[in-house]
Amino acid sequence: MQTVSTTPNTETRLSRDLVAGLFLIAFGVGAYLGMLDLPTRDQGNVGPGLVPKASAILIGMLGVVILLAGLLPSAERLQRGTWRGPVFVLGSVVVFAMSVRTLGLAFAGPLAVIISSMADKDSRAVEVLVFAALMSIGCIALFKYALRLPIPLAPMFIGY
Amino acid sequence: MFELIDNLALGFSVAASLKNLGLCFLGCMIGTLIGVLPGVGPVATISMLLPLTFTVDPIGALIMLAGIYYGAQYGGSTTAILVNIPGEATSVVTALDGHQMAKQGRAGIALGVAAIGSFIAGTFSTLVIAALAVPLTRFALLFRPADYFALMVLGLMLAVVLARGSLPKALAMILIGVLLSTVGRDLVTGDERLTFGWSEIDDGLDFAVIAMGMFGFAEILRNLETPEARDVVRNKIGRLLPNWADMRQSAMPIVRGTGIGAFLGLLPGNGAVLGPFASYTVEKKMADDPSRFGQGAIEGVAGPEAANNAGAQTSFIPMLTLGVPPNAVMALMIGAMTIHNLVPGPEIIVKQPKLFWGMIASMWIGNLMLLIINLPLIGMWVKLLKVPYRLLFPSIVLFCCIGIYSVNNNPLDVYLTAVFGLFGYILIKLDLEPAPMLLGFVLGRLLEEKLRQALAISQGSYWTFLEHKLAAGMLAVALLALIVALLPMMRRSREKAFAG
Repeated sequence: MQTVSTTPNTETRLSRDLVAGLFLIAFGVGAYLGMLDLPTRDQGNVGPGLVPKASAILIGMLGVVILLAGLLPSAERLQRGTWRGPVFVLGSVVVFAMSVRTLGLAFAGPLAVIISSMADKDSRAVEVLVFAALMSIGCIALFKYALRLPIPLAPMFIGY
Repeated sequence: MFELIDNLALGFSVAASLKNLGLCFLGCMIGTLIGVLPGVGPVATISMLLPLTFTVDPIGALIMLAGIYYGAQYGGSTTAILVNIPGEATSVVTALDGHQMAKQGRAGIALGVAAIGSFIAGTFSTLVIAALAVPLTRFALLFRPADYFALMVLGLMLAVVLARGSLPKALAMILIGVLLSTVGRDLVTGDERLTFGWSEIDDGLDFAVIAMGMFGFAEILRNLETPEARDVVRNKIGRLLPNWADMRQSAMPIVRGTGIGAFLGLLPGNGAVLGPFASYTVEKKMADDPSRFGQGAIEGVAGPEAANNAGAQTSFIPMLTLGVPPNAVMALMIGAMTIHNLVPGPEIIVKQPKLFWGMIASMWIGNLMLLIINLPLIGMWVKLLKVPYRLLFPSIVLFCCIGIYSVNNNPLDVYLTAVFGLFGYILIKLDLEPAPMLLGFVLGRLLEEKLRQALAISQGSYWTFLEHKLAAGMLAVALLALIVALLPMMRRSREKAFAG
């Protein structure tokens, strides 16, 4: 995992709640604009727009409250994020989604393990490769054979 | 009384079939196995293991899921005692004295007393659930849509008040959940809502997608950023069975903890989370020498663990009888039931008595199994605690990927889960807890449905919520809870309670 020397300063100058407030306001406003044409009333009954629009407005209002709290000098600072984690972990998920139908679990499985492992700087190549193979075999045995889930194994080579 | 015995007998006849016993055992085992891993709480465990139950029939699936839940809970306590990493809010208290006991070479006793306390609490709670199920269901059948709506508002409000962290943030998260639940084609009018012309999400967002994105992937991203500090106990685990003096010291705390936890778990809104805290406070107040607490007092493990398990179990009641989940775990249970085409609520006990009573009987069996399988397997759990996170998280990623794909055999769900993983990561960075969002998402649809029905009956008049005594009462309590939580004095003690 991370050592102290590689992460010297994880704090930004931004107030965390200020950003959270802005995020919620943007979320509320964005959602509201996305459903302008939904009526809140439907011939005297509740229309399809009432609950989502009311939620969006309240989210925005709470966003304002949180933003104001974030303006206090005592507000906590936003911690800096890393790109490494999201890129490799979520990237491996996307690769799995792309390959599971075409290449099958026999390839998508090890790919997901190998790519997600890169999210950790300290991962070791040999260990990851061996572990990816073992995990994939285990998962194929469990999901494909023991639980009989209809997940393609290697359609291009040995069929489903 | 005879009805109760009849019902339980029916339940045991279902739960004690070889297949269901096997599923219960499997659930408890795998639940503990995953729950023991540091940084993996019950919600993550259940959402990850959900796909294991897809191929089983509904009753078997529910029995297995309940087993997974108890297993994950128990695994969490093991981690709290041995590594001092509480998997979730409720085992924070266990870590206080449990880890101290472990450091003093009494880890085995702490684990043993936790298991025994949990079992006693589980037995009592099973009886409570069985006894209350029928009357509560009858009561629930009297509920009109307006009452239902008010009950859900009350539940959500209590969940907000009891959530850790900032009140406006928890409220905003619930509302985001409600908003996301409306995405897709409106069932009444057929209008597309927030799909942005994308027909693939016409049916709405999948519950499993949100749960795994937020609790599987986003949790990993959170853990990857916090430097790992595992304080695995190096001492011997030692003797597991408490001796006579230990038992005498723990007996009353277990009884009190069971009562406190069982009662708090019944409340709509996440009351169960308060159980361990309340029990710890009570034991500390009643002790002859309160200074022992925090230094490895056995009462500080026995009471809260009993309260924890009792609350975990009685929180099934609002879910099973009313269809209203009080917390994220029960929201997951409801999600699992809907995957099996079961609609939780008062009808289930009438229409599917075998399923209902079988599940309740399996709760007790599950607790017994945990006691029997866990104590001898402690050595194995300790080894699991040493699995480095760099191997753990890729496995979780793979498990989640396979799991989500299997829900509908659709790669699109996997992409969407990645999106929710990113969304969850942003929320965590901004200190917005994802758990209330899941609750809002699950309750959202029901909330809207009942609101519509209530206003259709009243011909659009909102006064209907005040004209019905029950609804008005519940809304008043909800408002009161919010006001009380906003009072400066309460705010401070609330911060203190969740500071752990």
